[in-house]
Amino acid sequence: MFGEDDLVKSHQERADIILNIIVVCFAILLARLWYLQIYHGKMFFNYSLENRLRKDVVRAPRGMIFSRNNVLLTHNVPRFDAIITPQYLEGDDETIGYLSKILELTPDSIFKTLKKYQGQAKYIPVVVKKNISRREVAIIETESSKLPGVSVETFISREYTDKDTGAHLLGYISEISQEKIPRLRDRDKYDYKQGDFIGQAGIEQQYDLEIRGQDGYQFMEVDARGRARRHVSSDELYSGIDNKAAEPGKNVRLTIDRDVQLAAYHALDGRDGAAVAVDVESGEIIAMVSRPAYDPANFSTGLSSNYWGLLTMDEKRPLRDRTIQDHYSPGSTFKPLTAIAALETGIVDEKTQVVCNGGYRMGGRVFHCWKKEGHGVVDVVKAVRESCDVFFYSIGNKIDIDVLYKYATLFGMGQRLGIILPRETSGLIPNKKWKKDRTGVEWQKGETLSCVIGQSFINVTPLQLAMFYATMANEGKLWRPHVVKEVFSNSGQVLKRVQPELIHKFQLKPKTMAIIKQGLFDVVNTQGGTASSLRGAGIQMAAKTGTAQVIGFSADKIFNKCENQEYKYRNNGLFAAYAPAGNPKIAVGVVVEHGCHGGTAAGPVAKAMVAAYMNKYYPTYQKKIVDQETAKMTWTQIQEDNRANPVPMVPETDTKDYYDEAGKLVRNFTLEKGGGTQVGPVE
Amino acid sequence: MINFREELKRYDYSFFGICTAIFVIGILNLYSATHSQGIGPEEGLYKTQIIWFILSWIVGIVVSLIQPKNFFRLAYPAYLISVILLIMVLVVGHSALGGQRWIGIGALKFQPSEITKIAMVLVLSRWYSKAAPEQEIGFRELIIPFLITVIPALMIIIQPDLGTGLLVMLVFFIITFYRKLKWKTITIIAVFAMLGATVVYNFGLREYQKKRITTFIDPEFDAKGSGYNAIQSKIAIGSGQFFGKGFRRSSQGALNYLPENHTDFIFAIFNEEHGFVGSVFLISLYIALFYRLLWLASNVNKMFDSVVVVGILAIFFCHTMINMGMVSGLMPIVGVPLPLMSYGGSNLLTFGICCGIVTSISNARNLF
Repeated sequence: MFGEDDLVKSHQERADIILNIIVVCFAILLARLWYLQIYHGKMFFNYSLENRLRKDVVRAPRGMIFSRNNVLLTHNVPRFDAIITPQYLEGDDETIGYLSKILELTPDSIFKTLKKYQGQAKYIPVVVKKNISRREVAIIETESSKLPGVSVETFISREYTDKDTGAHLLGYISEISQEKIPRLRDRDKYDYKQGDFIGQAGIEQQYDLEIRGQDGYQFMEVDARGRARRHVSSDELYSGIDNKAAEPGKNVRLTIDRDVQLAAYHALDGRDGAAVAVDVESGEIIAMVSRPAYDPANFSTGLSSNYWGLLTMDEKRPLRDRTIQDHYSPGSTFKPLTAIAALETGIVDEKTQVVCNGGYRMGGRVFHCWKKEGHGVVDVVKAVRESCDVFFYSIGNKIDIDVLYKYATLFGMGQRLGIILPRETSGLIPNKKWKKDRTGVEWQKGETLSCVIGQSFINVTPLQLAMFYATMANEGKLWRPHVVKEVFSNSGQVLKRVQPELIHKFQLKPKTMAIIKQGLFDVVNTQGGTASSLRGAGIQMAAKTGTAQVIGFSADKIFNKCENQEYKYRNNGLFAAYAPAGNPKIAVGVVVEHGCHGGTAAGPVAKAMVAAYMNKYYPTYQKKIVDQETAKMTWTQIQEDNRANPVPMVPETDTKDYYDEAGKLVRNFTLEKGGGTQVGPVE
Repeated sequence: MINFREELKRYDYSFFGICTAIFVIGILNLYSATHSQGIGPEEGLYKTQIIWFILSWIVGIVVSLIQPKNFFRLAYPAYLISVILLIMVLVVGHSALGGQRWIGIGALKFQPSEITKIAMVLVLSRWYSKAAPEQEIGFRELIIPFLITVIPALMIIIQPDLGTGLLVMLVFFIITFYRKLKWKTITIIAVFAMLGATVVYNFGLREYQKKRITTFIDPEFDAKGSGYNAIQSKIAIGSGQFFGKGFRRSSQGALNYLPENHTDFIFAIFNEEHGFVGSVFLISLYIALFYRLLWLASNVNKMFDSVVVVGILAIFFCHTMINMGMVSGLMPIVGVPLPLMSYGGSNLLTFGICCGIVTSISNARNLF
């Protein structure tokens, strides 16, 4: 034991050093406390009594959305809310009485609002009135001495250049609902705050995380009445304070052409329906319109809940994007697919002839042709041109539904095409397995007869319709439809560029496509074609009309005049096309709900879109088309003419990117209708 | 045969005495911090804290009646149990939400990392008092004690509780220093640690990784913006001035400007209410405790006892200094509680047991 005692004693030196370290540490601590409490004590004391630090959110400006030609489609405008910070509210009755006069509210309603938020911390501001006028802002600011605790908060709301024209495509933003915040935080890994705005449809929703930017914060010294005194930056007193600048959201450039979009929108005036135009060689969507629409700006101005209520009550469902979220029976616009399937599998060839006398009998049931008196002798080209149902019934009698399914799927129908927009629906192309799984009943032969003319189970979205015709135009390339060209920063740096993507490519017999293209050309450009009224104007559409029943009718009723029926029972009018026939660039799909006839209701919409597109991008080539039209050339002659005297098709309107090799923006965006927001000048 | 009366006479009341004094100040302060202006759910906290105190002191007194040689025997089993508990936390904790530092025993929740601190001190003391205790310690002698420390320390860091993990390492360093860590070794370690840290921080990490490290130290904290809390804490301390604002007069804490005001930031509230005078008084109590511990360390006759006392001193001191330093803005903010002042049952129990151990050692010394 004696030895160990010595051992402990031998550690005395280290114990003393430890004691010294402890003493030094506490000396430093006491010096620090003296510095805080005595040296700066008065300052901190006043500070704790009268002054408070407030952490203000600096809202990040939301990114803008541009058309393919850099026309501004949506941008931000400031909006003002009157707020009360309960902590600083003094002389409640008096202050609120005065405020209620300024805001033209009753004092009771203000008290009610305050009461609603009584549970939360007193330094969190409560919004008393949203979207107040500039006059009200001015009064509150100048009368602030009589309004302790009242202030004005600036928010950013959205303005859309063409109002409801792109409502569904662009979407809207609205205030995030409090219950959804935790779920959205999990989903997006983004720290949403109360009062944040979030994209709710279309591009605004789909690209929300890129468009929204990152809010910053700014520390403010506020006085006892909650009025901001000065911005606080990191200095001696506030060491550790770190203001954070807001990071502006990224901008999005769409593939949409504003003029074609407007043409489609106006052509649909007074109608319900959808129109889609797509670039044949890339899948870029050129226009995408759904009607009825709504004004997306209304959602970010503080009236959102009322407006939303009205829209959801509307039985025409204006909130739905009919281009991708609804599907329709394609009717006769589907017939080219039936013809392709039949030609490819050898069920028919160019010599096959069928006599149409207005009906087709199968299994004791008569399937009617739309033309009561019949089409006489019909071959496949005539069947497409004049839309003869009986010819297709005869195919339906021989073709297997699974074969039809195979070809429809190749052309992009019955599946989501992967357009990057919310809630795309797949439409439906039936096959035997589907029917069996779905209903438990085997496929019936008669059902095939309805399917070959685009009725029965077959349903396509207007987007699929356009993509189907684009894929016929380019002879077997199904592109991924897309609406965004690129995402770029405020300094013009391109952050993401969307490249055209092939979903798949397939080869059909050259003869098949030649026959189909002849038929589709004839629909518009020959006497007897179902859309010959749309001929001319230098656009040379190859197209197909369609009229689809909304509900089943008995035979006699089918031949009643559609316009005499009740609106909701009228047939849908469809029209799908590509143009110019000899050198396809654009494909369109149009559905006019209850429009009765494809040719007269939907056709003009397609024509307006194609014309707007051709006038803008290919005016020189149009001259050639006009020449061909004047000479009343047949399809064969046009093909020969194009081969003999080729005119190169080069877009004449500038859609080129304004960027140099380094990805820097070379020139400012053109702002056709800027609404005051200037982007740039670029660094 | 030792009679009971003599036993009582020989009993060293100083540690439990000083600690009780600090606790009484602490409980009043906790009451004040949670009762300044009608804050709902926190109101009953001081009652829970009193219950924990009574429980901890009973455990502590029982521990003080154990002979020190039994601590020597218990060192390895205690260490083993604490490592097993830490593994359990990692396994059980991962199936629960996010990081988990707690284990439930019936209704009580307990942090095994608290037991680890004490077990670590016992094991290191045993090792250092047995393995050539007359030698100075160089790198070769450091290997096993380092491994003993680093295994539980890493498990605590993974939990994640970087603060406690680093604290365990610091305690290890203080004990080793006391057990004559060579100055040469200290210098080499210091130089390499500094070089390594500088290189890694400046060249090895990207900006977001640096940020992640700071967030890692205390995730809840950064979410609210650490700068904001640091400034509010400084305002609270500074506004106390010389005499303080008085009991239950804190305004920073009351308005909830100061988050966590009953746990990690209790020292700020104390300063706001009792000023410089108050904190000088409080700090004197801590210094008295530390001085008394160091004195005991040098005046026991067993090497094991001596190292244990230094280890317990290190636990107390590191907690106190890190907490006070971070609250007054001298150090970055890591979640370390102030001994006997901050709300929390597990660490109160730890300090109760620590008091018991040193009291037992002190009592045994008087036997000679």
